Amino acid sequence: MKPPLMGKIRGYVKIQIRGQHTEQLLNHLLAKRIAIWDVRRTEDHQVSLFIIVPDFFRLRPFLKKTGCRVHVLARHGLPFSIGQVRRRSFFVTGAFLFLLGLYMLSSLVWTIEVKGNESISTEQVLAAAHEEGIYPFQWTFRLKETEELSKALHAKLSSSSWVGVTRQGTKIVIHIVESTVPKSRKLNNPRNIVASTDAVITSIIAEEGKAIVKPNDRVKKGQVLISGALGSSESPLTVVAKGSIRGLVWYEYSIQSPLVSKQKVMTGQSVEKSYVQLGERRLQVSGYGQVPFSHYEVKTEFNDVSVGMLTLPLKWVKEKIMEVQIVEEAQEQQEAAQIGLRHARTDIMAKYGPNARVVTEKILHQKTENGKVKLKVMFEVEQSIAEEQPILGTS
Amino acid sequence: MSRIMRKLNQWTAHLFDLPQDIVSDVPRVSLIGNRKLFVENHRGIVHFSNENMRLSLAKGELEVTGSELVIRGIWTEEICIEGYITEVKVHGMEDAKP
Repeated sequence: MKPPLMGKIRGYVKIQIRGQHTEQLLNHLLAKRIAIWDVRRTEDHQVSLFIIVPDFFRLRPFLKKTGCRVHVLARHGLPFSIGQVRRRSFFVTGAFLFLLGLYMLSSLVWTIEVKGNESISTEQVLAAAHEEGIYPFQWTFRLKETEELSKALHAKLSSSSWVGVTRQGTKIVIHIVESTVPKSRKLNNPRNIVASTDAVITSIIAEEGKAIVKPNDRVKKGQVLISGALGSSESPLTVVAKGSIRGLVWYEYSIQSPLVSKQKVMTGQSVEKSYVQLGERRLQVSGYGQVPFSHYEVKTEFNDVSVGMLTLPLKWVKEKIMEVQIVEEAQEQQEAAQIGLRHARTDIMAKYGPNARVVTEKILHQKTENGKVKLKVMFEVEQSIAEEQPILGTS
Repeated sequence: MSRIMRKLNQWTAHLFDLPQDIVSDVPRVSLIGNRKLFVENHRGIVHFSNENMRLSLAKGELEVTGSELVIRGIWTEEICIEGYITEVKVHGMEDAKP
């Protein structure tokens, strides 16, 4: 028989009863509804049985009535285990302290992570967090609510547009979304805008400062166009002159353009060579021999050699040597001149910026000599002529 | 229980086809193999030893003979005996033929 319900918790004992009238005793127990089990006759006038602890203490009157004696053989269940635990108090306190320590350590803040900050330094965020009580080895139960913390941190970090504080166990994560601050303007010295070359003004727009010249004025290089000096002589004021000035500038170009143009044409013939390259050294693997072409172009391709995830310091180099033929083409004089002019125009664009515009071009002189067309051209270019010049010695 | 009442009970039980052990105080004995014996409606233990056990009933006695007899569990109405049972005898039941 198994012990009755809660038997393990209430505790039960195996007892031995000695006496003449053990059957009578059993009948008494039955009448009082005292649960017993595994009743065994061990000897004449001697019975062993199991009984739960509370009932054991109710045995006494029946024992007296029947003249029996009782002797405990074995103890089972929780009340006795507790007694055992009491004897091993050091072990139990150790176990308890271990659990307590584990709990304590897990309720500490161990790490703080700051995410999403770019212009705000992590130190700054951590300092603000420290003021709010977020720092390593802080008790998590002493921390305020995360929402409150986010608000406080947001208030402290002025250049953040949102701050989120989340706790993941022993780790605090501070998410920061920075507000986009407009770029601070560069500090400039007070200055004038002067002409970069001799020109005729076509348009002048002064954003700051005073425009001194008017459109159609002829200006010399270095002449002040927009003045940064404002105010009267009694109360002088200097500003950073700013504005856009465009003017017409003349350029004389001497152009030489050959009558025979040479062009490279691929023939489609090619030879391949491959190498293994280690550092700067190359070892040819295939495609030995002289290149059979008189004119050629080389296309080189590099490939890293890798084994699995590992990239070796080796390189696989492939060279494609392609045959090129130079085709000569005779041109008309006019055509050659046009090509020369086109070169000159792109040169102007490259030199004077994309805003430059060729207003007029005048061929001053043209002659053909030694298979070349020689041109002298005057370009009238509208371009920006602004140049900054700091104002010195203002006092 | 008076004689008339008992007769009435028996008659009702017969009428409704009820088992006898429910209506009257007779024991119900179930034997499982030769190892386990359940007795319901017993009236206490008269004698108890490893080889022989006598239980008192409302009328008469039940004698169990065997070896290594153990009372596995005992409640006011029911008893469970375990061991190697060789004999179950009933003494002094009312309806026994002489």
